[in-house]
Amino acid sequence: MTSFILTFITFFPLAGALLVMLAGGRGDRHDREPLVRWLALGVSLVTFAATLYLWSQFDPTSAEYQFTQEYWWMQQFGIRYFVGVDGISLFLIVLTGFLTPLALLSSWESVHKNVKLFSFMLLALETAMIGVFVSIDLFLFYVFWDAMLIPMYFLIGIWGYERRVYAAVKFILYTMAGSVLMLIAIIGLAWTHAAATGTPSFSLTDLYEVGGTLSDSTQMWFFLAFALAFAIKVPLFPFHTWLPDAHVEAPTAGSVILAGVLLKMGTYGLLRFAFPLFPQAALDFAPVLAVLAVIGIIYGALVAMVQPDMKKLVAYSSVSHLGFVVLGLTAMNIQGVQGSVYQMLNHGVSTGGLFMLVGMLSDRRHTRLISEYGGLKGVAPRLVAAFLLVTLSSIALPGLNGFVGEFLILIGAFRWNATLTAFAATGVILSAVYMLWMFQRVNYGPITNEKNRNLPDLTPREWALMVPTIAMAIFMGVFPGVFLRPMEPSVNRVVERVTGNQPRQVHSKPTPINSSTAERRAPSADSRRPDLQLGREGK
Amino acid sequence: MTDYAPLIPIIIVALSAAAAMLAEAFRQEGERMPIAGLGLIGLAGAAAASVFLWNSWTDQTPDAFGVIRADNFALFINIILCIVGVLTMLFSHEIVEREHIPPGEYYALTLFAICGMMMMAAATDLLVIFIALEILSLSVYVLTAIRRDSAAGAEAGFKYFLLGAFSSAFFLYGIAFTFALSSAMQFDGVAGSTGLDDVARMFRVQSIDTPQTLKLLAVGLLAVGFAFKVSAVPFHMWTPDAYEGAPTIVTAFMSTGVKAAAFAAFVRVFLWPLEPMQAEWVPVLSVIAAATMILGTVVGVVQTNVKRMLAYSSIAHAGYLMLGIIANSPTNANGKAAVLFYLLTYAVSNLGALGIVALLGTAQHQHDELRDFAGLARSRPGLAALMTVFLLSLGGFPPLAGFIGKWYIFSAAVQEQYYWLAIIGVLTSVVSVFFYLRIVVMMYMTEGADVVRPRVPATAMAGLALATAAVFYLGVLPTEVLGLALDSFEGIF
Repeated sequence: MTSFILTFITFFPLAGALLVMLAGGRGDRHDREPLVRWLALGVSLVTFAATLYLWSQFDPTSAEYQFTQEYWWMQQFGIRYFVGVDGISLFLIVLTGFLTPLALLSSWESVHKNVKLFSFMLLALETAMIGVFVSIDLFLFYVFWDAMLIPMYFLIGIWGYERRVYAAVKFILYTMAGSVLMLIAIIGLAWTHAAATGTPSFSLTDLYEVGGTLSDSTQMWFFLAFALAFAIKVPLFPFHTWLPDAHVEAPTAGSVILAGVLLKMGTYGLLRFAFPLFPQAALDFAPVLAVLAVIGIIYGALVAMVQPDMKKLVAYSSVSHLGFVVLGLTAMNIQGVQGSVYQMLNHGVSTGGLFMLVGMLSDRRHTRLISEYGGLKGVAPRLVAAFLLVTLSSIALPGLNGFVGEFLILIGAFRWNATLTAFAATGVILSAVYMLWMFQRVNYGPITNEKNRNLPDLTPREWALMVPTIAMAIFMGVFPGVFLRPMEPSVNRVVERVTGNQPRQVHSKPTPINSSTAERRAPSADSRRPDLQLGREGK
Repeated sequence: MTDYAPLIPIIIVALSAAAAMLAEAFRQEGERMPIAGLGLIGLAGAAAASVFLWNSWTDQTPDAFGVIRADNFALFINIILCIVGVLTMLFSHEIVEREHIPPGEYYALTLFAICGMMMMAAATDLLVIFIALEILSLSVYVLTAIRRDSAAGAEAGFKYFLLGAFSSAFFLYGIAFTFALSSAMQFDGVAGSTGLDDVARMFRVQSIDTPQTLKLLAVGLLAVGFAFKVSAVPFHMWTPDAYEGAPTIVTAFMSTGVKAAAFAAFVRVFLWPLEPMQAEWVPVLSVIAAATMILGTVVGVVQTNVKRMLAYSSIAHAGYLMLGIIANSPTNANGKAAVLFYLLTYAVSNLGALGIVALLGTAQHQHDELRDFAGLARSRPGLAALMTVFLLSLGGFPPLAGFIGKWYIFSAAVQEQYYWLAIIGVLTSVVSVFFYLRIVVMMYMTEGADVVRPRVPATAMAGLALATAAVFYLGVLPTEVLGLALDSFEGIF
C-alpha cells in the first residue's frame, strides 16, 4: 500500500513557504506582516498535526520501514525517491513538527525585518529537515542534508546578532566540509554495489548488504567519511567550534531549530547510516568516538560553567548533552541506543525551551549577559517558574524527560565500559552546577540592575510557547514507554545489525577498554531481557 | 556524394549573422533595430535543426566534405550553444543600447563565434578544428575589446589576443607533428585501409614509423592548446584579465560558449584519436586538473571584483570538467556524458549570474565590484533571489543544476577509482562556496547606499526566467537530460 503521508509531511511546509511568499506581496510590506505570520504558523501547525497523525497510524511492533513510497528518480544510476519511517525517525519527525511552530511563535515580536522571507526560510528548512529523516535513499538523503544548510545560513546571517555573517559562513563551510567527503563515500558505496550486482544503488536497504562486504580498509575510510560529517553536525569534540558561534549569533528561532533538530541529524546519521553500513569499522572506532564523547561531556560542561552569556552557556551545554547521546550510541546495546534516541528528543524539548527563555529575556532587556540580570523572581514569577522547570528538565531531574534518557544511556554505557561511564557521569553533576548556578544568578537574590525592576511577566504568546514545552517535558518524563515502545523494534534491529551480523574478530592490538569489549561483541540474551528495558517502567 | 545535412545548423547561424551585418548596414544613425531578434530566429532554427538531426547519424553516414559530422555529441553541444546564444541575445537587447556597443558588429560577431563553436564540436579533422577555433577566437577577441572608449576593454582584448595567438601556435604545432607522422588530418580515413592514413589509426598502431617521442610531443602540444582555451592551470593567465576587461555580457557569453566548444573538441580529440595514448596523458591531465581546481578556488577567495571572482570560478569549473575527460574507459561513458551535462548546467548557471551583473551595469558604472551588490536584496529582491539561485547552483547546492552536474562528474571519477581527484574536487567546491556566498552576504546581509539601479527590461526577465527554470529543471528532474547526454556517445567513441 502506498501512502502519501510522508511526502505530504515533507513537502507541505515548502508549499506553504511558497504560499507565504505570494501572500507577502512585493518587497517588505509591513501591512502584510500579520497575514504572513499567521499563515506560516498555520502551515506549521497543519504539518505538526500530520506528524501526529503519522504517529497514530504507526505500527509500534514492526521494525520495518513504514509508509514507504518508492519511485525511480534517476534509474540509470540507481537513484530513487524512496521515503519511509521507522521507530527511530518517527519521533524526530514529530519533534521537528513540534518545534517549528514554536520557533515561528518565538520570533513573533523579535523579528520585524522581512518577515515574509523569514517565514519562508523556516518553512523551507522544515521541509529539508523532515526530508533528512524520511529518506531511505542515500542520494535523496544527501540532497536534503545539503539543502538544509541554505535556509539555516540565511536565518543566522540575516536575522542574527552582531557577528551573524561570520557565524553563518562558518556554519555553512564547516558543515559542508564534512559532508562533501560523505558524498564521495556514498558514491563509492553505490559503485561498490554496482560492482557486486551490476547496477548501482543508493537505497539504504541495498547498501546495508554491501557495506559489510567491503574490505577492512575501505570500510574504515568510508566510515570515517560518514562519521566526520556527522561528528561535525553533532558536534563532537573537537569539531564543535562552529556551534557556539552559530547558536549565539542565531535569532531565537534559529537557535531553537538548530539545537532542537539540526544537531540530532548528526547522531541520527551515526545511528542510521555510519554504524549499520560499516559495522566492523563502527565497532573498531566506537571506543574513539566514545572517548571523544566523554571529553565533550566534561569539556562542554566546564566551558559552559564559565560563560557570562546565557546563550553561549546553553550552546556549550548542548555539546555536553550531545556527548551523552553519542556515548549511548557507541555502547551499541539496546539501553544505550534507546536512551540516545530518547535523549535526542529530550534535548530538543528542553534546550529548545531554554533558548526560547533566553530569547524572552533578551527581547525584554536586549542583553544575554547573566550579570545584567538578578532577582527576576520577584519581578516576573511566572517566567521564573517556567525557567525553573525547563532548567530542571535540562539537568535531568527524575520525573522530567531528561532523566529517562540520561539514565538509560548511563546504564547502556556502563554495561559496555564502566570507566568511561564513570567519567561521563560527572557530566550529570556538572550540568546541575552550571545550569543551577546560572538560574540562581539570573533569578534569585536582590535586584541588582534597576532596569530589571519593571520587566513584564509572561505574555499570552509566551504562555503559548512555554505550556507545550513544559507539558511535553513532564509527559516524556512520566510516560517514557509511549515513546520507547515504538522505537524498540527498530533500535533492536540496528543493534543486531551492527553487533550481530558480523563475526567479530579478536584484535591482537590491546585497546584501553579491551576488558569490557568481550561482552559487547557477543550480544547476549541479557540485552533483550525485558526487565532491563526501562521503557516498560513508566507503565 | 557529400551529405550536407550536418552543416545545416551551422549554416542557419551563419545566415543570421550575415543578416545582422546587413541590417546594420541599413540602420539609420540612432535608429533602434531589433537585431537581436534576427539572432534569436537563427539560433532557434539551429536548435530545431539539431533536434531534427538527433539520432540521424550512423557509422555509415558520410561526413560533410569528410570533415563535419553531426553525431549526437555534436548536436548536444549545438543545443547548449543555442541556449547560450539565446540567453545572450535576450540579455543583450537593453545592454547594447545602454553601454553604446555597436549593435550590428556585436550581434554579428556573437553569431559568427557561435558558428565557429558549433563547427569545433562537429569537426572530425584537426585542421577544421583549428579553423573553427580561429573563427570563434577572432570573434571573441574583437568582442572583448568592442567598447572602443574603454581602456580596460582594449587592454583585455589585446592580452587575450596575444596569449590566444600564442596558444593557437602550440595547437598548430601539435597538428603539424600529427601530420608528420600520419600524413593525415582526419580522425578516421578510408575504411579498410591498413596504412597510417588517419590520425586515430596512427595513434593506435605501434610502428617504427611512428616513434613514441613524436607521438608524445604531438599529444602534449595539442593538450597545451586545449588547456589554454579551457583556461586550465598553468595556461589560465589570460582569463581573469579578459573576463574583467570585457563588457560583462561578453564575459557571460565567452565564459560559457567558448568553454563548451573548447571542451567539445577536447573530448573529441582526446577520447577518440588520442585514446590509445590514455595511459600517457591521464597523469598529466590529472595534475593539471588538480592544480586548476585548487588555484581557481583559492585565488577566487581573495577577489573583490565579481567578474574576476567568476573568472577564477570558471577556471575551477574547467578543473572539474577535466575530471570527466580523465575518468574515462572504453566501457564507461559516464565521464564523457558528465562533461556534456556539466557544460549545460554551468552554461545556464553562469550565464544567469553574469547576466544579472551585466543587467545591473551601466555605461558609467559597471556594477561589478563586490560592494556594488550591498543591499541588492532590499532594492531588487527578485534579482537578488535569482542571483542567489545561480550562485548556489555554481557552488553545487541541491536541488539546483550545479549539484547534479558536480555529483555526476565526481561519481564518474569515483567509478574509475580517481578518489583523490574527487576529494580535491569536493573540497575545492566547499572553498568556492565561500566566495559565492560573499556576494550573497553583500546582497542580503549588508546595508547598501541607495544607488539608482537600471531597470531590467522584459526580454531580459524572460531570459532570467528561462535560466532559472533550467537550473531547477536540471536540478530536480535531470533524468531526461542525463539520459540524452549518455546517449550522445552511443556508438560514437
